[in-house]
Amino acid sequence: MNKKLKQDILRNMASAKQLNRRDIIYSMGASLGSVALASILPSRLSGSSAQTGPLALKEPHYAPKAKNVIFLMMEGGPSHIDTFDPKPHLNQIHLQKFTRGGENKSAMESGARYYVESPWKASQVGQSGAWMTEKWVHLADVADDICFYRGCQAESVNHPTALFHMNTGNRFGGDPAMGSWVTYGLGSENQDLPGFIVLPEVSYPQGGSPNWGSGFLPAHYQGTPLRPQGSPILDLQPPPGVTPEHQRENLNLLSRFNHDHLKEHPWQDDLQARISNYELAFRMQMQVPGILDINQEEEKTKELYGIGTDETEVFGRKLLLARRLIEKGVRFIQVYSGGWDSHDFLERAHGSRITSIDKPMAGLIKDLKARGMFDETLIIWCGEFGRSPDNGIRDGGTTYGRDHNPLAMPMWLAGGGVAGGTTVGATDEIGAEAVDVVHPIRDVHVTLLHLLGLDDNRLTYFSGGRFKQLSQFGGNVIPELLS
Amino acid sequence: MELVSRLSISIQKTHFIVVILAIGGFLVVPLSAQDKDYTEGEKLFVLKVKPLLKKKCVSCHNDEDLKGDLVLTSREGMILGGESSDEVLIPGDGENSLMYVATTWTLENFEMPPKEADKMTEQQSWLIRDWINTGAPWPSEEDEVIIKEKYAEGVIVQTSGGLDDDWTYRRYEEKNLWAYQPVADPSVPTKSKRGHPVDAFIDDKLYDIGLNPAQLADRRTLIRRATFDLIGLPPTSEEVNAFLRDRSSDEKAFAKVVDRLLEDHRYGEQWGRHWLDVVRYADSAGFSNDYERPSAWRYRDYVIRSFNQDKPFNQFIVEQVAGDEADPSNPDALIATGFLRMGPWEHTGMSVARITRQQFLDDVTDSVGQVFLSHPLQCARCHDHRFDPIPTKDYYRIQAVFASTHFADREVPFQDNETLVGLEEKVVMEKRLGYFEDMRNRLNEKSREALKAWCEKNGYEYGTRMELLDRGVPEDDLPRNIGLTLEEIGIRKVGAKNVNRGEFEMKKFEPYVLSVYSGLEPEKPQRSGSMLPMPAAMVKGEAGQTHILTGGDPFGYGEEVSPGVLSALPESSDTLQKNEYNSIPESVEGRRLAFAKWLASAKNTLVPRSMVNRIWHYHFGQGIVDTPNNFGAMGGKPSHPELLDFLASRFIESSWSVKEMHRLIITSKAYRRSTEYKHRDRLAEKDPNGISYAVFKPRRLSAEELRDSMLYVSGELSETMGGLPAMPEINQDVATQPRQVMGSFASSYEPARTPEGRNRRSVYVKKIRGLRNPFLEVFNQPSPDESCEARQASNVTPQAFSLFNGEDTLYRSIGTAIDLLEKNKSRKRVVEDLFMRAYGRKPDRTDVRLSLEHWEKMEERHGTLEFPVREFVKEVQRTAIEEMSGEEFSFTEVLFGFDDYVADPGMADVEIETRALAELCLVVFNSNEFVYVY
Repeated sequence: MNKKLKQDILRNMASAKQLNRRDIIYSMGASLGSVALASILPSRLSGSSAQTGPLALKEPHYAPKAKNVIFLMMEGGPSHIDTFDPKPHLNQIHLQKFTRGGENKSAMESGARYYVESPWKASQVGQSGAWMTEKWVHLADVADDICFYRGCQAESVNHPTALFHMNTGNRFGGDPAMGSWVTYGLGSENQDLPGFIVLPEVSYPQGGSPNWGSGFLPAHYQGTPLRPQGSPILDLQPPPGVTPEHQRENLNLLSRFNHDHLKEHPWQDDLQARISNYELAFRMQMQVPGILDINQEEEKTKELYGIGTDETEVFGRKLLLARRLIEKGVRFIQVYSGGWDSHDFLERAHGSRITSIDKPMAGLIKDLKARGMFDETLIIWCGEFGRSPDNGIRDGGTTYGRDHNPLAMPMWLAGGGVAGGTTVGATDEIGAEAVDVVHPIRDVHVTLLHLLGLDDNRLTYFSGGRFKQLSQFGGNVIPELLS
Repeated sequence: MELVSRLSISIQKTHFIVVILAIGGFLVVPLSAQDKDYTEGEKLFVLKVKPLLKKKCVSCHNDEDLKGDLVLTSREGMILGGESSDEVLIPGDGENSLMYVATTWTLENFEMPPKEADKMTEQQSWLIRDWINTGAPWPSEEDEVIIKEKYAEGVIVQTSGGLDDDWTYRRYEEKNLWAYQPVADPSVPTKSKRGHPVDAFIDDKLYDIGLNPAQLADRRTLIRRATFDLIGLPPTSEEVNAFLRDRSSDEKAFAKVVDRLLEDHRYGEQWGRHWLDVVRYADSAGFSNDYERPSAWRYRDYVIRSFNQDKPFNQFIVEQVAGDEADPSNPDALIATGFLRMGPWEHTGMSVARITRQQFLDDVTDSVGQVFLSHPLQCARCHDHRFDPIPTKDYYRIQAVFASTHFADREVPFQDNETLVGLEEKVVMEKRLGYFEDMRNRLNEKSREALKAWCEKNGYEYGTRMELLDRGVPEDDLPRNIGLTLEEIGIRKVGAKNVNRGEFEMKKFEPYVLSVYSGLEPEKPQRSGSMLPMPAAMVKGEAGQTHILTGGDPFGYGEEVSPGVLSALPESSDTLQKNEYNSIPESVEGRRLAFAKWLASAKNTLVPRSMVNRIWHYHFGQGIVDTPNNFGAMGGKPSHPELLDFLASRFIESSWSVKEMHRLIITSKAYRRSTEYKHRDRLAEKDPNGISYAVFKPRRLSAEELRDSMLYVSGELSETMGGLPAMPEINQDVATQPRQVMGSFASSYEPARTPEGRNRRSVYVKKIRGLRNPFLEVFNQPSPDESCEARQASNVTPQAFSLFNGEDTLYRSIGTAIDLLEKNKSRKRVVEDLFMRAYGRKPDRTDVRLSLEHWEKMEERHGTLEFPVREFVKEVQRTAIEEMSGEEFSFTEVLFGFDDYVADPGMADVEIETRALAELCLVVFNSNEFVYVY
């Protein structure tokens, strides 16, 4: 490609006005042969492959504290009161009734209500004295590595809008997910795997795949869900009956046709990029199943994550896979745990959920520390909102639950750059509302980016007439969360 | 509005006044009579530096915010400095003043403003330096007013008024106001003496930049280009041959092709699809429940019909925005109002009514802005528009147009011009509904028995739970879900929810339309997941008052506003001069109609330009304005402004005929040029941004074109138009992927039972917001949540998986192989036919040799391969965690569509020869020559 044209393309890219121009850049990279010739699935950065292409490594804005993210998303809205922010006062007002209404309340929040105490006792754990309810058995071991945050507030009382908000910064969806922004900002170390991978539950969350969509960012940055059932990546394998050798022959003929065609249109870079893509796809097809196979891990590692025990099997496998993917140089992993929407039967519902993640999460932190990866990985745990200290009138007895509460929610962070062993912020006496170190979700986003060396105000993309950013209109780092 | 005169007086080297005298939209700025002399420094400060500081600095460094202990709102504050330096401003020494240095981003940790998108240009930094060098004068407020009046550049635009005077009287660069100027009727340039008016404009510019255009494309290339462009499919070999053999001149022969294609009913399917991108068509409502919209498909077919009929575009606008008010007895006009309900929307028991209502109002306001006016209006929701003359007040005035608009699923009998295919799905849906009814009823019965026993034991006469409560049985005593285990509670809920959902979705077989009515706010909020009837009696009275919502907060009631239009457009400000064109009635009815007429008027400067630009954009892959949804300051500027106006005025003259626009554009040489160019370096040098139209740009097929073409090549594509959403096969993992909806799961995706029902054109494929068709999605079919002005054509690895490994391509390859063998006598003929169908050309000798060799090699290989007979999942075991109890429970979902499913032939069903040929077809479908159009 001639130098002038290249400069012009680069200039156009700087203006970031048009996606197809970005694709030209990708194909330019590809036409240099880098993507095609990259060694097969390097576990870490290898030579030129990381310098071109859409996932090419980019300089952060300033020195990062963490390189990778494992974002643990508790879909449905876990209760802060029954996890890390106990409210003994509720024991005193348990079952006291009151009514609520008003134009800004949903039907769910309105009408006759009563207060609900936590089914569990809480105590302080670790040297730092972090509060936890008694359901957390294993996480207490690593409490001193965790920063518990009690000040975050959501803005939406409904699942899909709140979930979109936490995942994309925009309540109505359609914007790029956090992981898309991060991969857009930093690239990814492994050019042969997606930079942003999602490990969903078997059933996708409310709102579906837009929760990990790339929005207006180019499609290369969208989250790739590894499906827990069926083929992990759609159409990763050829239809039943087709052997790799057989497919290789088809690929050879395709390559021949495509190269003949390229001779007639040598200036069109898209053609070369598409040829390279098929080669890359073929390699991924051969290699990805091995990467996903956690049976390659030692038994004691699997045990650490709770694999082999029914209650913790599912989440444990996901977290172990998350660690394997981080090792392979994937930038951002989001792991879902569903079923936190405990309107009733709080003890049973939250109880089983907590048990299902307790050991795996403690195992992940221990494993990362043992492998020296803890300090370069940022772990965040939260849901889309918290739960209310009160509930609508239902049955009584064991059926107590909690409704949605955007004004207070549980969250914790651990790993690179995080103030482990601290508890930041506070909610009021009954956990109805955050009152100290209160920040909206966008500030959590800004803090996440900050820890990765990205400045939310500089990580922008021109779309729809303005420069857009994850926080929508800017936000603040929450300094208390940083080490 | 008419520009009476445009007077530019050069006063100084860098300062000149642009005075625009205007009647209507632009305010007259008289020359001040005062003659006090001002220094360069004072003028520089008032006109350039102060506005720059305001825009870039003082939102953080002001008396209240005091970032870095620095105040930049006064000269004293600057001299005082901040926490890190007291040398922020050294009068006379710009180079060493921190407030200049910081803006250059050369000093680490002092990069200001901190946001990269806000970073000053070099020229902007220099303004600060130069001002400091003149001693940093800071004139008084009175002097400021005079300096502005005497020397300010740019124009003030008269609008309905901003939230403050600074905004109301701010000045705009003239180049950013191009779209508000009346559409001119420019004379066709004659410099290049070409015949076609479009070419005259294009060639004029080519001449100016000294670039020769490419040669015209050969006929074979051209017919493939035009056929894909106009009907979204490749030409048949007969069509190609007829065009090649046509002895008339290139122009005449091609004009015949264009005429034929424009009369082809498949034209509406292709161009209607473009419009559906813009309006975000989907068959479901999104969010938690993602309910199907039972009658959305009638709007989709209306759009396709309208393009085929060449409905005047101004009529098309009025029908979509206000068809119910304009022509309530016309079924099409009622169906058209589905446009207003295209956005994602949901109201449930967990939503706040005021917020979901506002969500609709915001959605429809912004959508009308993007779709018709090429102005995203949402920027003005929370504050006056940062760049365009759109005050927040206008945003809420336009919103007030829709304040009396409410949803209604009207009953409108099916018309003769509507197709009712897809009814076979009804049988499957009925079976499914019955299944869930049984699931629910069985457990209801069990619970009822338990309740009877409880009543007996506690001495009550039996009644339902509600009846017992009414009779005064204390709620706390009365157990809920009595007699059911936790698992059964979960299963009963799944049954009940699916029954509700199923009953609602069955409405698609009844003659409803997704529509609206003008009236008063319904007493109860309109809920998702149920049919919304027209109110029994139309209550007369006042529509709810619209307020400016401060900061966009649904509860932040500010100033009251009346319905209105975009006031910056010529003759559109009803405060300046109220007339029929610009005023919207306050009455409950008629607001939308008046607004629609304003949109559809030849006087509207945005609407006709917007549409002709979209048409151009789809023909050439780029617009004359490269941002079809944004003609504001942040959008692109027209590459050929006169051509744009020429097309817009022809559009109006030809009674807003879209087909006439196609004819005009597509018969130009610019459209017929080759994609090949001898001197690429020269082209890149002279036309770095690729906007000269010296050469035609190739494009990748869109997702729909790719799928449709495979079906067309295989001979399987259904010719049926319209009807209920079509359900092709999709990847089975996706089809049975559990999708959470509120309190339950949505049913699995079940493809239509017969090939005829599945192999429909992609425009008819059911578009579920939460369950996208994976093949179409991976090839960049846009998400229906945002208006799509231009498609991406990204090149990502999952596309290779999808096209090379996916079942779509596999079955089309087998289908093609079967058809080729049936229709051709020899293997060579088969290969020739395949190439003609797929590429529109005959294979050369190498192609034939490679193809035949591959076929043979594959035949040999297939001799040793076993292919399993295809099996379909007929039952899915669903395991869920009951949201209320946290208990796991499971139930079985039966996929009734597979009871008597007619599958496409698979590898196991055909001969080895056919299988081997299918491999060749698969390669062809994956090849670049098939996927790109030149």
